[in-house]
Amino acid sequence: MDSANTDALFLRPTDIKAALVAMDGGAVPVAGGTWVMRASLRGDSNDQAFVSLSQIDALHEVAEGEDFLRIGALVTHDHLADFARNLPELGALTQAAGMSANPAIRRTATIGGNICARGFTAADLVPALLALNATVEVHSSSRQDTTPIAEYLQARTQRRAAGLLTTISVPRKRGHSAHARALLRKAGEYPIANISAFIDMDANNTIKTVRIAVGAVEAMPKRWHSLEKALLGQPFSADAADMARDLLDDFTPRDSVDAPDWYRLRVLPGLVRQAFASITDQSREDA
Amino acid sequence: MAVTFTLNGQQRRYSGDPRTSLMDALRCDFRLTGTKDVCGEGFCGACLVHIDGVPKVSCLLPIGAVEGADVTTIEGVGDLGTLNPVQQAFEDFDVVQCGMCFPGMVMTLSHFLQDNPRPSRDEVKSALVGNICRCTGYERIIDAVMSLHNSAEGRK
Repeated sequence: MDSANTDALFLRPTDIKAALVAMDGGAVPVAGGTWVMRASLRGDSNDQAFVSLSQIDALHEVAEGEDFLRIGALVTHDHLADFARNLPELGALTQAAGMSANPAIRRTATIGGNICARGFTAADLVPALLALNATVEVHSSSRQDTTPIAEYLQARTQRRAAGLLTTISVPRKRGHSAHARALLRKAGEYPIANISAFIDMDANNTIKTVRIAVGAVEAMPKRWHSLEKALLGQPFSADAADMARDLLDDFTPRDSVDAPDWYRLRVLPGLVRQAFASITDQSREDA
Repeated sequence: MAVTFTLNGQQRRYSGDPRTSLMDALRCDFRLTGTKDVCGEGFCGACLVHIDGVPKVSCLLPIGAVEGADVTTIEGVGDLGTLNPVQQAFEDFDVVQCGMCFPGMVMTLSHFLQDNPRPSRDEVKSALVGNICRCTGYERIIDAVMSLHNSAEGRK
């Protein structure tokens, strides 16, 4: 293959505008590559040109503001776990980033890729971002939009989302958050179910804000609204896992080779218990 | 687009399809077969190489992405006369069984020990989460790694 032929197969733009032009021309955006490079294993076509985003400096930046953490789409799990370590309200994000997959994948896989990998059912960062009420910034050739992540995920599922996801903004609100995941091995693989929880309590330890998101159980992560409703106004000491056990009807679990549908549901109350225990530990450290 | 990069200390050029995985290019074009082709999904660790000094899975990295990078494979971490310390410990403790996972383990552990020269057994196990050995000789592998710390202590 001569270099003239290969030029068009792997584009390396240095700005977002040039990346969008390449995408409009049919090129597949590549962040860390850990999902795109497995296309053939999934039986997907892999004959399109690649547009590598790695030369766009702005996409690698993490900025800590007073009210938000702004994360470039190409920030890796490893970098994010390290950066967010000292931000206790973002515990779910730190834990999800630091436990996902295995160390070598965490050094390569990006937060933008985790959100945008269509068909990837076991993302760890996405439930954390849902629980933390994140928004995403999407650039297209004609506009720039900021959208709640839940809406963006829905649009992607329905193939309505266009453009390039460039930045994720995570509000830094008072409270604590945690992430828990169930694996078939002790570590080093994708979860068969995961949970992220954000809780804020008043001075009497009554829950005044609660967001819980569940991943890997259905095709797309989603909030567990019935459990949130049940927990709101309850003392934090209430047995959230017991409540969760009565509210499993919210889900239509996936049945797949790594775990049957019923098992994904069975582990959820235990994951709720783990996430709440982690939040309890964080609260004690604050006291 | 020819891809130019440093491979085991030498400037190299790749003129094939830049979407090819680095692992395939290393094995098929550069004939460096110490990088193993096993799971192809980034989970077994057999294809690990160092990119700019950091272990990454070469099976999921398009070679176009290593333009200008410094790539080190298992063939570049030592030589027949002077093995890398991890390789030497593996030989001393006779831990190599089928051999498919060991290049990746050497790449992981060489990097890990640079930052953690006195690890606990649990820390070694955590570092090896992404390296799967189907011969399941894990405990002896960890013994070998721990011996590096012990022998360094003995030399003091």
